[in-house]
Amino acid sequence: MQTEILKLKTEREDDILSARVGGRIDGSNAARFEEMLRSAIEESDRAVIMDFEQLLYISSAGLRAVLVTAKSLWKQGTTFALYSLSDQLRGAFASSGFDRVVRIHGSRREALDSLEE
Amino acid sequence: MSVSDDTRNDHLLHFTVVNDLREIAVAADRIDEFCSVHGIPTATAYAVNLSVDELLTNTISYGYEDSEEHRIDLKIRRDGDVLTIEITDDGIEFAPDSAKDPDTAASIEDRPIGGLGIFLTRQMMDSFDYRRDGGRNIVTLTKKTGTASPENQ
Repeated sequence: MQTEILKLKTEREDDILSARVGGRIDGSNAARFEEMLRSAIEESDRAVIMDFEQLLYISSAGLRAVLVTAKSLWKQGTTFALYSLSDQLRGAFASSGFDRVVRIHGSRREALDSLEE
Repeated sequence: MSVSDDTRNDHLLHFTVVNDLREIAVAADRIDEFCSVHGIPTATAYAVNLSVDELLTNTISYGYEDSEEHRIDLKIRRDGDVLTIEITDDGIEFAPDSAKDPDTAASIEDRPIGGLGIFLTRQMMDSFDYRRDGGRNIVTLTKKTGTASPENQ
């Protein structure tokens, strides 16, 4: 078995930053994950949507990084949403109450549609 | 070693890690392998990984006042449908009961950063026991293995 490392790929279209996250986020790389996001996000972004389908694992350190990002986006008026979380990740977000501070959608389509509302 | 001892050992995973956050992923691989051999459902394996991660992260980040290398001992045992996880370290004493549960109903602007690790561990596990013994912290967790759904088998 091979340890999955953190992967992050971003692209911007029409002021919407899409980020695809893969691997695992734990105490060893959460700070780097936060920093990678911070440098990818611009103040002019209307929304940041993150695809968690390839994310296998997140610990409280990773949840903290998501919360820090959510707070900073909330302050600058940028919409933030996550989609395609596994049942395990959904469980971690629900247990921590983070599903109340971050919008979680089933699919990319749903996340994009929610931006039009 | 008798045959019955061999059988018993199959049910125990015992290893040590050093106080480096990168060891968490190494521990996760060992735990995943153990869970996979024992047909333990993905959700349970995830909960065990998360709990071990949270405790190791706390110990490695806050448990040592020097910059020496320290060893943290991990034991995961399966008895029937119960997993028992024991983590022993020689870090400073900690008081898991003093950690206040985070307000999970707080809005985004009020939600404090941090205070989640031990809380999540308690949520994920069936029992959580802490004791200080001979200058060591010993945390014992238990979790029912649960039944695997068909796609996990």
